[in-house]
Amino acid sequence: MSEARLRRVNKEIADCQNDKASGILIALVDDSPFHLVGTFPGPENSPYEGGNFDVDIVVPDGYPFQPIKMKFITKVYHPNVSSQSGAICLDILKDQWTPILTLKSTLMSLRSLLCSPEPNDPQDAEVAKHYLSDRADFERTARYWTEIYANGSESARPPNADDDAAALARRKKGVKEDPALVAGLKLEHVEQFVNMGFERNAVIDVLKRLNYRGANVRNVTDDRVVNELLGI
Amino acid sequence: MSDMSDENFYDDIEDTMDEDSAYGYDDEREESGFGGNTDSDEEEEAILDDYGDVDDAFGTNDIGKERLKNWQVEFKSHSVESIVQAQKKEIDHVASMFMIKDTDAAILLRHFGWNKERLIERYMDSPEKVNLEAGVHEDPSRPRLQKLANFTCEICYLSSEDSPGGKMETLALACGHRYCKDCYQHYMEQKIQEEGESRRVQCMKEKCNLVIDEKTVGMVVKPRIFERYKTLLNRTYVDDSSTMRWCPAPNCELAVECHVSVKKLDKVVPSVRCDCGHPFCFGCGNAAHAPAVCPIVKLWLKKCEDDSETANWISANTKECPKCNSTIEKNGGCNHMTCRKCKHEWCWICSGPWSEHGNSWYNCNRFDEKSGSDARDTQAKSRASLERYLHYFNRFANHEQSARLDRDLYGRTEKKMEEMQLTSELTWIEVQFLKKAVDTLTECRMTLKWTYCMAYYLAKDNMTELFEDNQRDLEKAVEDLSEQLEKPIERDSIPDLRQRVTDLTVYVQKRREIMLSDTATGFEEGRWRWNVTF
Ligand SMILES: [Zn+2]
Ligand SMILES: [Zn+2]
Ligand SMILES: [Zn+2]
Ligand SMILES: [Zn+2]
Ligand SMILES: [Zn+2]
Ligand SMILES: [Zn+2]
Repeated sequence: MSEARLRRVNKEIADCQNDKASGILIALVDDSPFHLVGTFPGPENSPYEGGNFDVDIVVPDGYPFQPIKMKFITKVYHPNVSSQSGAICLDILKDQWTPILTLKSTLMSLRSLLCSPEPNDPQDAEVAKHYLSDRADFERTARYWTEIYANGSESARPPNADDDAAALARRKKGVKEDPALVAGLKLEHVEQFVNMGFERNAVIDVLKRLNYRGANVRNVTDDRVVNELLGI
Repeated sequence: MSDMSDENFYDDIEDTMDEDSAYGYDDEREESGFGGNTDSDEEEEAILDDYGDVDDAFGTNDIGKERLKNWQVEFKSHSVESIVQAQKKEIDHVASMFMIKDTDAAILLRHFGWNKERLIERYMDSPEKVNLEAGVHEDPSRPRLQKLANFTCEICYLSSEDSPGGKMETLALACGHRYCKDCYQHYMEQKIQEEGESRRVQCMKEKCNLVIDEKTVGMVVKPRIFERYKTLLNRTYVDDSSTMRWCPAPNCELAVECHVSVKKLDKVVPSVRCDCGHPFCFGCGNAAHAPAVCPIVKLWLKKCEDDSETANWISANTKECPKCNSTIEKNGGCNHMTCRKCKHEWCWICSGPWSEHGNSWYNCNRFDEKSGSDARDTQAKSRASLERYLHYFNRFANHEQSARLDRDLYGRTEKKMEEMQLTSELTWIEVQFLKKAVDTLTECRMTLKWTYCMAYYLAKDNMTELFEDNQRDLEKAVEDLSEQLEKPIERDSIPDLRQRVTDLTVYVQKRREIMLSDTATGFEEGRWRWNVTF
């Protein structure tokens, strides 16, 4: 069984390395073929275009009869991806998995998930709310995330806290991430409440929770925001 | 919240529950001409009265022989064997009607969730379409098992050259997607053992929905795993059925049949009792929760879970005497507290003096909404809403805890009674009144508990006053009986005690019945309005 697993994974890795056309890269972490990093370019004509997305891959003992475990290393603003942990909500990673699927086909499914979110089966409820309430505004934030988080890495590489490729590239370009923009909020909205004497991070938290974005802003009264900030 | 879970609670008492005490008075039940039962989906209004005859796999015409109260529903327990039999009957029927293999008939029935009528209708219309949808089709020109040369399995990447004799054992379903037999075995065993899957296991090809039938499974997996598969398959009969539910009691293998449709759960509480003794709600599987209906129970349990930290202090077992501040431990279920030090009498729930609760005015069940409306600013409002919640939760949790304490107390009393039995002329039958009383008390406390959940979500109007009056009367009766049980037992006073306890038991049962019957009537009449939407 474990022999079959090793044979199959090795062959899959070799296949990927020989196929340059797909744009999908796979690299080993710690020399084990069962812990990998996959990288693919963000799909064209999507807010993820121009970014490179790293995915942590764990090949379970029961592979290929058990689904591969995958989560995003690169931060992604997407309804089906946790903005905190990178966990992914995708049927083929759960009950719709079949042994005929491969590392490559699964990474390609992830890539197409980026183009076609399923906001009704969300992994990140807040992001999904943003997506459903104002699509254009959501895309603006997703593009911002792509720019600040997904712009540095060009090939699959193991994650390393000290040498985070995206952070490095950001520093080089002099881009500073703004927590308000990361949360998908408008700077003037945040400043409006900061000027009332509230702490900036608290304002960001509350506005995020109330989905104070795009068209939804008119549904949230200033009183509501202030009450939340006061903890009432 | 976990320490108050009904499941645990019933675990403790299951073995001591009295079968007869379930639904009030046995002697008031009458024989009546109930026929079979029907899924009364179509007749929205007929909730309990219009049961017609219907063809059903169990051939059960013996459900609900007694005249039911308006808050009771018909139900019946079934063993695993009778479930297997019922399936076989359905499968044979469909197989002979369509002249198809019984394995295919089984797949079709499972695909239609055992709704035979719908299957027949659809199959008559277009058998090909139904077969395709359900994943049944057959191509005799394509052998299932085949030893092949020059074959490479797309899953394990092994080829015929790797196999002895240069030939590989392969398997394909009617769709022709062929893989090696070893991979099929691993696949099936993973699905059966690790995922507990049975009827839904499909061909390994992506998006091919062909279901792997029982015979094929038998060909590839080990006998032990095939047995497991068949057990799982049997279970799906109940899982898929809208009129069957497994008894949630741990280690119980029975299933209960009940024909209250999901659409009625906002008006009917289908309380059932498995033959093992476990009382539960057929609608949601939680421990019995009448008179509250499933949707509000769901809201309530969620709320209690979310607010458990705020409300934690309530579950504490000790309180200080409101007068002299000495610590008092609650040792029985009764809420009438008497301080050992200063003799102050007070109510465990509200800490108010007991004298205000006693005879004619027992107002501890009602939350004073006025204090809420006085609240002006938002902060006070949210405090008022927390207080309102705590008011109801407090009482809800208290009955849960009291029922447990009543049980403990009974355990001690029973021991004492046994001793007395040895030294006096009392017979075993004569000391049974206490058991009956405690069983009734438990049941009434469970009902009371859920009235507080219901009250929390009721919109305040004239109707709720009536509801609260019934609740108050039941609560008073319960506390009276509970208090009686706490009295010390002396040999000479037993006949007296027995009379008093028996009278109170009958009375408290009557109060419970009034409570349940009035709420059920209220649901029928659409009398209850909620302060939430669900
Ligand atoms: Zn194979
Ligand atoms: Zn197939
Ligand atoms: Zn049972
Ligand atoms: Zn229920
Ligand atoms: Zn005292
Ligand atoms: Zn009180």
